[in-house]
Amino acid sequence: MVKMSLEPVQVMSGQVAELKVAPSSNGDSAGSWEGKREFEKDHLGLTAKPKPVTGRRARKVEGAVFFPKPENAVTVAVSSRVLFRTEREQKVFEQQGVEEYLRYQIEHENEPFAPGPAFPFVKALEAVNARLRELYPQSEELFDIVLVTYNHAHVGIRLINTINHHNLFIERFCMTGGSSPIGYLKAWQTNLYLSADANKVREALTEGIAAATMFMPEKMTEVSESQLRVAFDGDAVLFSDESERIFKAHGLDKFFEHEKENEDRLLDHGPLKGFLEALGKLQKKFYAKGQRLDCPIRTYLVTARSAASSGIRALKTLRAWGLEIDEALFLAGAPKGPMLEKIRPHIYFDDQMFHIEGAAEMGTIAAHVPYGIAQKHNSKHNTSAGK
Amino acid sequence: MVSTDQKTDVKEKEADCPVVVAVTSHAVFESGAEDPDGLYVGGIAFPLLQALQKVNERLLKENPAESLLFDVILITTESQQQQESSRITESIRHHGLKVSRFCFSNEEDFMENLLNNNVHLFLTTNRNEALQGSQKGVLSVLLDEHTASCPTEQLRVLFCGDAVVQSEAGPALASKQAAQSFSAQIGKMRGRFGPFDSPISIALVTSRGGRESCGDALRTLRSLGVNADEAYCLAGVPRGPIKRLLRPHFLLSECFSSN
Repeated sequence: MVKMSLEPVQVMSGQVAELKVAPSSNGDSAGSWEGKREFEKDHLGLTAKPKPVTGRRARKVEGAVFFPKPENAVTVAVSSRVLFRTEREQKVFEQQGVEEYLRYQIEHENEPFAPGPAFPFVKALEAVNARLRELYPQSEELFDIVLVTYNHAHVGIRLINTINHHNLFIERFCMTGGSSPIGYLKAWQTNLYLSADANKVREALTEGIAAATMFMPEKMTEVSESQLRVAFDGDAVLFSDESERIFKAHGLDKFFEHEKENEDRLLDHGPLKGFLEALGKLQKKFYAKGQRLDCPIRTYLVTARSAASSGIRALKTLRAWGLEIDEALFLAGAPKGPMLEKIRPHIYFDDQMFHIEGAAEMGTIAAHVPYGIAQKHNSKHNTSAGK
Repeated sequence: MVSTDQKTDVKEKEADCPVVVAVTSHAVFESGAEDPDGLYVGGIAFPLLQALQKVNERLLKENPAESLLFDVILITTESQQQQESSRITESIRHHGLKVSRFCFSNEEDFMENLLNNNVHLFLTTNRNEALQGSQKGVLSVLLDEHTASCPTEQLRVLFCGDAVVQSEAGPALASKQAAQSFSAQIGKMRGRFGPFDSPISIALVTSRGGRESCGDALRTLRSLGVNADEAYCLAGVPRGPIKRLLRPHFLLSECFSSN
């Protein structure tokens, strides 16, 4: 039996440059990224008067692509409840019904919503786009952020006002007035769907669309405004849940045995593999222009597997898939919270609510992937001690 | 900001006029086909007429004294059908459709007929007829095979936003006014029902512009008294897949093409 080390092991591919984290607060709508885009100086605050609709700032990117074709872009669909904070409105809906909710929304139409858990992630995607446009002005290989909501179109104007207020680059949206957006997600070749509703996320997953549920953490730690950081759990997120099944059914020893025996057999893919792949493709575009050290996209694997044993199969699988991951952290069962707090990802994907909650406690924005065997065992008392 | 009510609580001072919808027999019945009883077989516009009827039923359920209802008239220019007028009326009755009037006319004066009957919406599968109607200032919609596969339980109207906010100039001005007043009527009808379980559903699609053009379209609709249920800002994404998902009975835009 392998002696488990409690020291998390960090395996990094390539050199890691010193990363500067911008000191501005999360979701700062007035933040400028490296001054490369000009816009009016905005003032913060929820009750700020919205800019008049006609006074929209000009996009100072000459000849660049604004509406990429879905097949070329990496489409990220976010719901209004994760992009913005809508708790007050949710309460109105739950306590007073839909008609009062709609009336309330229209009444407050000129009050922009505050940023939600997906906001920093979306801002970071836009920062990457800005860098991509500089290097490849004619390319459609960009992030395309689409707002997808079950809301009635009555709320549309308030959402548009809010997007304007925060200077977000969202030009496509879908307000379905109550019906399922899955068809539209597919039509738009969505690469990732983020929602506050686990049922909708599950529906997307069964249709083969990478999806995760986001929650509003009590605190959100500051994240970089210049570098997109995406962290993934391994089993049942990047990889299938086959190994987790063994662990749940037969325990830790059997798990290690199984992994050792199958070390050279690739793991099957999990729901987020495609999204990692899409990130990798964009990363290569920066490498091609000699910007490996300065790449504005950084990916992390944060797994309970241990480096010396079960982690090998994970790395071999990634390599065989032709996927690079910038940092692989093998925690050998140690809690993920502290490590995530160090990384400060804009989003962290995990299939177990236990880890999501642990991450959120430390201010990391985590997204739950309701996939695999862990969903049957999802409770706070279930720990995935040392894999 | 225009304040909007989901349900109109105020009793109208004067009764609303019915919305007159004229549909050609070509659209209602499949040409050349007949069933074992010798009656005409339902054609492209069939589900649409059923949906209009559903709306009427629900409107009357909300208010038995409702006067803002669809008034469907059937127009035929085919002389053969005119000779067999009883077959038409039989077929209509057999299929459970409610048509208030039959208009038999020849090709020259069927436009006159439209105008005399104060038609608000003209539905046809014939491109020439649609063009003529449009030129005469009647809102004319060209139906195609997509209409045939639309739901019968709910009337689905799709507004094409890029066209709604086009500037005034153009030969279709008269038609635009007709489109606006019809839209207002639809908006009013929609307002008789709550957000869910409505027999009418209104969707807005903007194809080319970004969020601002969609926002402008939403505001324009609102100024006409139309509150959209669904809104899609495509910004260049092909419209086909979205249309297939939405399954509208017809589209409203400056031009009348049903694409």
